[in-house]
Formats: sequence, C-alpha cells, structure tokens
Amino acid sequence: MIIRINGSERQFTRDEWPASVAQLLDYLQIDQATVVAEIDGQIVQRKEFSNTSLAEGQSIELIRFVGGG
Amino acid sequence: MAPHVFFELKSAVVGIAGLGGLGSNVAVALTRLKTGKLILVDFDRVEDSNLNRQNYFHDQIGRFKVDATAENLRRVWPQVSLVEHIVRLNPENIVNIFAEADVIAECFDRADQKQMLVETVLSKMPGKVVVSVSGLAGWGASNEIVTRQIHSRLILIGDGVSGLRPGVPLTASRVGVAAYHQANAIVELLMNHKVPVSVQGSQGT
Repeated sequence: MIIRINGSERQFTRDEWPASVAQLLDYLQIDQATVVAEIDGQIVQRKEFSNTSLAEGQSIELIRFVGGG
Repeated sequence: MAPHVFFELKSAVVGIAGLGGLGSNVAVALTRLKTGKLILVDFDRVEDSNLNRQNYFHDQIGRFKVDATAENLRRVWPQVSLVEHIVRLNPENIVNIFAEADVIAECFDRADQKQMLVETVLSKMPGKVVVSVSGLAGWGASNEIVTRQIHSRLILIGDGVSGLRPGVPLTASRVGVAAYHQANAIVELLMNHKVPVSVQGSQGT
C-alpha cells in the first residue's frame, strides 16, 4: 500500500499501514504539535489528526516547524 | 532626494504575529518602506535577555513589546499607521485580528505556536498568505537560510532544521538574516500583486 509523503512515495505493508494521521506521525517520529498536515490539498487540523484516516494513493504534505524567532 | 514611495506597499496591510527577534525587525523594515498599515500583536514584555537579537533598547525593558515596537516605528516615521493588540493569539482570535491583513508574518518563537498560526491561516482564512520561519538558531551558515514557496499560500523561510538546543543560541546576526528574508518576501509578494491588496476588497488568491 502506497502513499505519497512530501512528494516521495512510501510503501507500507498491510500490518504497518497507519490508521490515522496521528499514527503516521508516530511512525515517522514527528511531534504532532510541530507539523501542519495537508492531504490531497486539504489542511487537516491538528485536533483532527487522530480522527483522520489515510487511504491508498493519497498525497500528504507535512510542513514541519522548529523553534526560534 | 525624497524617498521612493511604492504604491503597492502604501496600500497594503501586514499582520505581524509576535514581536520577538523576527517580528520586531520585520516591522522596522516594513515601516522604513512606508507599508500602509501594520497590525502588531504580542502579549509579552521586553526582557534583558531579548536584547541579543530583538529590536529593543535597554531603557525599554519591562514595557509591552507592542508599545515598545510602536514607539520605535514612530521614531522612524511618526505618521506610520499601526493597529496594536496586547493579546496572546489563538485559533479563535487570529481570524478577527488579522481579518484586514493582506499578508501575515508568523514571527513566533515556539514551534507549536508557529504550527498553530500557519494551520489557522491555511484552514480558516481563505485568500490570506502567511510568511513563516523555521530553522534559524546559531550563527554563520547564512546561505542555508532560504525562502521557499511550499504551498500556494505559505512561504517558508529558514534552514528547516536549526531549532533551539543547548549550545546553539539565537543570535542577532542569524535571526536578522531570517527576519530580513521574511520582510523581503513580504515586499516581493506585495510588489508582485501576488496577494489581494485590501483596497481592492478582494479575497481571491
């Protein structure tokens, strides 16, 4: 099963397949508080990460922030 | 010689979310170019630990950053048009406070606050462009700080990786590089009419 993350295809086995955006971020070891997520051009709000499931073939953009300003 | 006045800037409204190392410097650059109106937002006060990179002066310690920034900008041009909010921004008040802005500068310090501002603008404020910064800690490596358009309504500045960590402080020199990238990206957007200028009352992208 394949999704596209920031332009690169990523393959998951059925067992690895993340059930939600939150699980995908856990898998990628990304802190949910520091990323803006967009699926197929639609922003997914952080509070919806756990409720938003992923589907085969989707294109996901993860915009990450580090502190300092 | 009289300073050149850019019509595109004179008619623009820019929101500045946070007046730390980024915002206090972006505000000065945009004021010098006679940007039409700046919406200044910060809840914090000036501390001596800010003076290593933020555009404040020793005699302003203890004052609200909004007040101190307004004072500094009025010393550049007394007639500068400012809207001042001493408040902590959240996903609810961002939409109203920046309703009039053509471009919003994300000038926060914390990563989760940057996330919150960018997510709110992209999800709740159709037509608004946000210019954000991620990755500016340390010194040197000026050319690793870049300006990238990574979404139709998001320009992201920085090296993307240099966050705060022990031994890697924030410096006036490198934060300044990022702040002026940010100001320059805003000027470019406005000069190129890539954002709906408020006098036209347009909400399109």
